[in-house]
Amino acid sequence: MELIFWWILPAAAGAVPAAWFLGRRRHRARAARRRPVAHSDRLTALPEYQAALRKHRNRLRLLAAAGTLLMVAAVVAAARPAERSTVRPEQHKRDIILCLDASGSMNSADAAVVDVFGSLARQFDGERIGLTIFDSSAVQVFPLTDDYDYVQDQLQQAKTAFDGAGSGSFLDGTWNGEGSSLIGDGLASCLQSFPAAPEGEEPGRRARSVILATDNFLSGTPLVTLAEAGALGKDRDVRIFALNPGDYDFGPDAGAEQPGARLRGVAEGSGGAYYALDSPDAVPGIVTGIEATQAAAVRGAPRSVVSDRAEVPLGVALLAGLVLAGASWRPRR
Amino acid sequence: MASLLQRVKSKLSIHAHRKARGLLEGQYGSVSHGRSLDFDDLRAYVPGDEVRDIDWKATARHGSPLVRRYVAARRQTLLLVTDTGRNMAAESRDGEPKGDIAVLALGVVGYLAHRHGDAVGLVCGDSGGTRALPGKAGEAHLERLLRAVHDTTSLDSAPSRLETQLDYVVRNFSQRMLLLVVADELLPDAETERLLRRLRAQHEILWLTVRDAELLGAGADSYDVASTTAGQRTRGHAGRRAGLLPGGLAESAAIAGAYARGQADRDSARQSMLRRLGIAEADAGSSLEVIPAVFTLLARRRRGR
Repeated sequence: MELIFWWILPAAAGAVPAAWFLGRRRHRARAARRRPVAHSDRLTALPEYQAALRKHRNRLRLLAAAGTLLMVAAVVAAARPAERSTVRPEQHKRDIILCLDASGSMNSADAAVVDVFGSLARQFDGERIGLTIFDSSAVQVFPLTDDYDYVQDQLQQAKTAFDGAGSGSFLDGTWNGEGSSLIGDGLASCLQSFPAAPEGEEPGRRARSVILATDNFLSGTPLVTLAEAGALGKDRDVRIFALNPGDYDFGPDAGAEQPGARLRGVAEGSGGAYYALDSPDAVPGIVTGIEATQAAAVRGAPRSVVSDRAEVPLGVALLAGLVLAGASWRPRR
Repeated sequence: MASLLQRVKSKLSIHAHRKARGLLEGQYGSVSHGRSLDFDDLRAYVPGDEVRDIDWKATARHGSPLVRRYVAARRQTLLLVTDTGRNMAAESRDGEPKGDIAVLALGVVGYLAHRHGDAVGLVCGDSGGTRALPGKAGEAHLERLLRAVHDTTSLDSAPSRLETQLDYVVRNFSQRMLLLVVADELLPDAETERLLRRLRAQHEILWLTVRDAELLGAGADSYDVASTTAGQRTRGHAGRRAGLLPGGLAESAAIAGAYARGQADRDSARQSMLRRLGIAEADAGSSLEVIPAVFTLLARRRRGR
């Protein structure tokens, strides 16, 4: 506990003699106006008068005490008592890239996916989140950031765009490649958008995850196949969590070549997980999965936090003020 | 400085013309009715006797001062007795200093006596001491007496104690005189009564009460002059201790009733004591009431009460 404006205390103490001096001058002026009378025992000897005088004096004492208390409390509050504490904020060094397939086949599901992304982003605290959308080419909507307000704002814009109410420019730049819905290229772009480890930090200290929302319906020839992208992810130690809005069974003949199954293979192969979009386990599962990626939270540099603790003096001042108001109230005759 | 006596005369003439033409002639009788100018006897000089009454030849023969008795009996002496202590500098009922009212009352009666040809003396003072001026005739002397009272009455004087002055008269004046006592609303105790009884046996006494300030209903703060010293007053500490009466504090009906009852009791205690002793009394709360009060006083005395 310390006082930020500690110099207010000596200043207030210095004001006391000044106030006393002024009060004395006023007292003298009033004393000069008093009329001299003789035989005041005519009144002062009356028990009724003595009772009234006692009451008057008690009231004055109460007023003086409450006034003093009010002034002291106000001065203390003005000096800003504050508590200085040192905190080491926890930093979960996790980077998460939301990777969204914006192809025509995902059209109906994108808004729902963005909702899920929004609820995922709300669950994280201390992680960096980025968003990349892709169709035939990938566009980074925003890079990794821990400004969650901005993240929510961008996700809201994405949702508006996918609902068809937006300006349409949101998806600009996603059709530059050959074909459409090039999942492997998109995933590879997402994997590429993790920044290199900063100077002096050993690579791999930050846990990296990609949340990939796609139905894995490929149309066209990607430069990188999904399996190659998965291998790249494994190579870079990135976990891929797949969200599939169209987790359909394409019959037993499709076998392991079913899009969902392949996606599952890539995701689980990288140490991630696979969920259908409408699965109730999707959000909590991904959150626990990502949080499990790095148990050892890194503690940030110690920061000193100063918080005002004026509750007690202000409360005392309030009480004293109430007493002062109550005691100085007199019924008007 | 305007003459105090001039002030008295102006007040007196206004009233006298309207109320009684005989007032200026004096309405109190001589002490020695029926005694002639005849020489009675000689007696030893006592303080208060006029020096001019001394029979110098007899004194020379006898070796100690002797005065002629008949002169003393013929020429009555009016002795003004008043209090010049702090109490009399306090406010009267109507707000003037009580001392001013006292000076006016002393002046009116003194002037009547002067017009009657009598000598006027003065005994005044406070608890600290008594000052006496011998009885002499003449306006200049009367002016001097009034000046003495006027100048010594102040808030810086010693506290009031009229008994000191009464005691002084008892001890120092053996000559029969007419006494005019001007006092405030003091509460007479057994000592006062004893002194007055003793004085009454010897002298004729008139008593004029100057009304004290009303303590209720005044908006301003008051302080009791008895509770402060002169130093405290000038340093602005007046009434810091017991003497302070905050104005507007005691406005309740219960206090007002008790105060009125207390005042009535106090008045009746004083009046009944004076009546018991056969001392005529009247009271005045302002300078305007002084002349009517003197009227009342002289009328009561003539009636024997």
